[in-house]
Amino acid sequence: PQETRAAAPARTRRGPAPVTDVAKLCVCDLLVAQCDVNCCCDPDCSAADFSLFTTCSVPIVTGDNRLCSQKAAIYSLDVEANPPERIFKLIDQVNPSIFCIHTTNYKQALSFSSPEMPTSENFDQLLKEFGSAAFSAEPDSWNMNTDAQNPADANETYRYEYGVPIQTVDAFLRLPSPVVSSWCSDANPAAFLVNQATKCTRSLSVEKCGSIQAVSMLFYINSSILAVNITVQSVVIQSLNGMQTSLNGSDVLRLPMILDELCINVVLGVSYHITYTDAGEIIEAAASFVLGAIKKEALSIQQSFEISFTQVNTKPVPLSGNPGYVVGLPVRAGFRPQGYPFPVEILFAALNTNKYGQLTILQSTSSQDCLESQGARTPILFGYNMVSGCKLRITAAMKCQLLAQTLLDLLKGQSFPEYVASFGNSQAHNVLDWVPITHLHNSEQRIYNAFQSSCQIPVSLEIAVKWTKYGSLVNPQARIVNVTATITSTILKQLPSGRERTIPITSSVVFSDISSPAEPGYKAWPTINAKLPFDFFFPFV
Amino acid sequence: NTSHQLSSLPLQILFYLNGIYYIFYFLATLAMIVYKSEVFSYPDDFLAPDLALLLIMAVLEVLRLYLGSKGNLTEEEAPLGLSLALTVGSVILSVYFLVWQTYVLRADVVINAVLLFTYGLESVLKVVAIAAFVS
Repeated sequence: PQETRAAAPARTRRGPAPVTDVAKLCVCDLLVAQCDVNCCCDPDCSAADFSLFTTCSVPIVTGDNRLCSQKAAIYSLDVEANPPERIFKLIDQVNPSIFCIHTTNYKQALSFSSPEMPTSENFDQLLKEFGSAAFSAEPDSWNMNTDAQNPADANETYRYEYGVPIQTVDAFLRLPSPVVSSWCSDANPAAFLVNQATKCTRSLSVEKCGSIQAVSMLFYINSSILAVNITVQSVVIQSLNGMQTSLNGSDVLRLPMILDELCINVVLGVSYHITYTDAGEIIEAAASFVLGAIKKEALSIQQSFEISFTQVNTKPVPLSGNPGYVVGLPVRAGFRPQGYPFPVEILFAALNTNKYGQLTILQSTSSQDCLESQGARTPILFGYNMVSGCKLRITAAMKCQLLAQTLLDLLKGQSFPEYVASFGNSQAHNVLDWVPITHLHNSEQRIYNAFQSSCQIPVSLEIAVKWTKYGSLVNPQARIVNVTATITSTILKQLPSGRERTIPITSSVVFSDISSPAEPGYKAWPTINAKLPFDFFFPFV
Repeated sequence: NTSHQLSSLPLQILFYLNGIYYIFYFLATLAMIVYKSEVFSYPDDFLAPDLALLLIMAVLEVLRLYLGSKGNLTEEEAPLGLSLALTVGSVILSVYFLVWQTYVLRADVVINAVLLFTYGLESVLKVVAIAAFVS
């Protein structure tokens, strides 16, 4: 026993010896000690079994058929005989080609090499070579590249791509979210540029409120995102009846504590705001808290978490799609400031009546009187055709020019934008991503007579938005290519005094899809890649 | 007496044909080595000796045919004898390509057999010519 134990490490185990005799080789013999159906080479089958077969699944067993002459075992069923019997023949098969292998002096040429048996000496080397998802002929050069990428420097800024979890000093930035049930799980990492908002339930009681980490502010600002500390941007205290008050001094850390049978400073909501550069580095992180109090009878609280990303030096603008417009989100629009194209740092000022930079349309009110509704406007949502309007009561006393100006203001709004974003995420500094609005004027021409001095008042504004499908066939993105605003005017005939007239004023938005039919693109035809190995003329070159 | 000529005409014809055949043999063997290295598993430390020996054989052949032809035409036995000695080397190399190459295809067997037959015939004629020159 002792000497075998000493001898064991020295002896390497070998795999089973390969079978090379064609008469003994049977690939269809899968069941041990049982006859496989239609397997004529199975040694477990008796003559009675053979008589029940219909065909031979393996008719011939040979070695490499590129050899000039080799032994072959041929199995067939003689169905003429009664009962059918198996015929086994061992023949010499001759390959007629002139390029058949006559002999070979390289032993491993025509058979698979036996793999190395792992021992304690070669285990590490084998693991390095075969342990990854793909075996490479040059594992060292590949390993060197990946090592150079992961030095894990806390000082170096780490560049993120979309969807990559944000790393902190110990793990990942956590955004607790419900998994399966509505209970909070702290293992959800926040991904870069993925705006998330989650709500989940956490079990809590007044006695344990000091000991549960996830309801204290410290838990959420403790881990710093590599080189960036998480600062507290604002703290809002929510009282028991739901009233929220914002605190002035947001530097002091408020930890949960028990006060008068209540547990106060319990984190009810966290909102992270991450600022990033366009190279993908995170330069700032701020957290806003909503702290609340829980009563003695409460067994659980609901927490809400949110994370949003803003690019540095830009104002956060709600996107209407990424990149193509999403149906139902507002169409973004803006102005070009004076002096373009010279100062390129000046961004587009989105100065519509709607402060979010959206294209708006007159909103119909219940009173339906144009002059009463003071500029109520509704944003134009992509893909939704809208019609709105009001009724204008014209009296004889109204001055035409003033009326025309008022109606124009009513239809277009205080500051009608000049440009519309062609994609839902168009940035203000990318000039080419914005489409200018074309203005057309239709004047209703009646009989050409000498009374052409009568002025015209605008009665309808039609905004026609032409959009196209852009991008790949499976995921087309909506892109606005043309926006035309057509004002139709009509001649206001002078009314006899005392009379009044009501004319309808309408404004409409129509979206039309002008995408051209998709053209499939074919990949290049495969080419035969035949070239000599680079060291073919070794050792002469 | 100008008609008394010791140079062997059959030998000279054989040298000429040998030269042409060897060019074909060299290109065919090289092409087959390329084919084998693409189709079969031909590691570098088996490929290198085969190629080296083929090139040595080519050099030897050129030298051998030149010396033999010169010796036969000038009716001198020294170059012819040297050529005979080099033939031994060529025979050994041809046997290598016939039997000890990494992969011996049927085509290899055929062209090497033809080459060996040519060498044999040449050797006989050379011996006869040397005997004629010496005496």
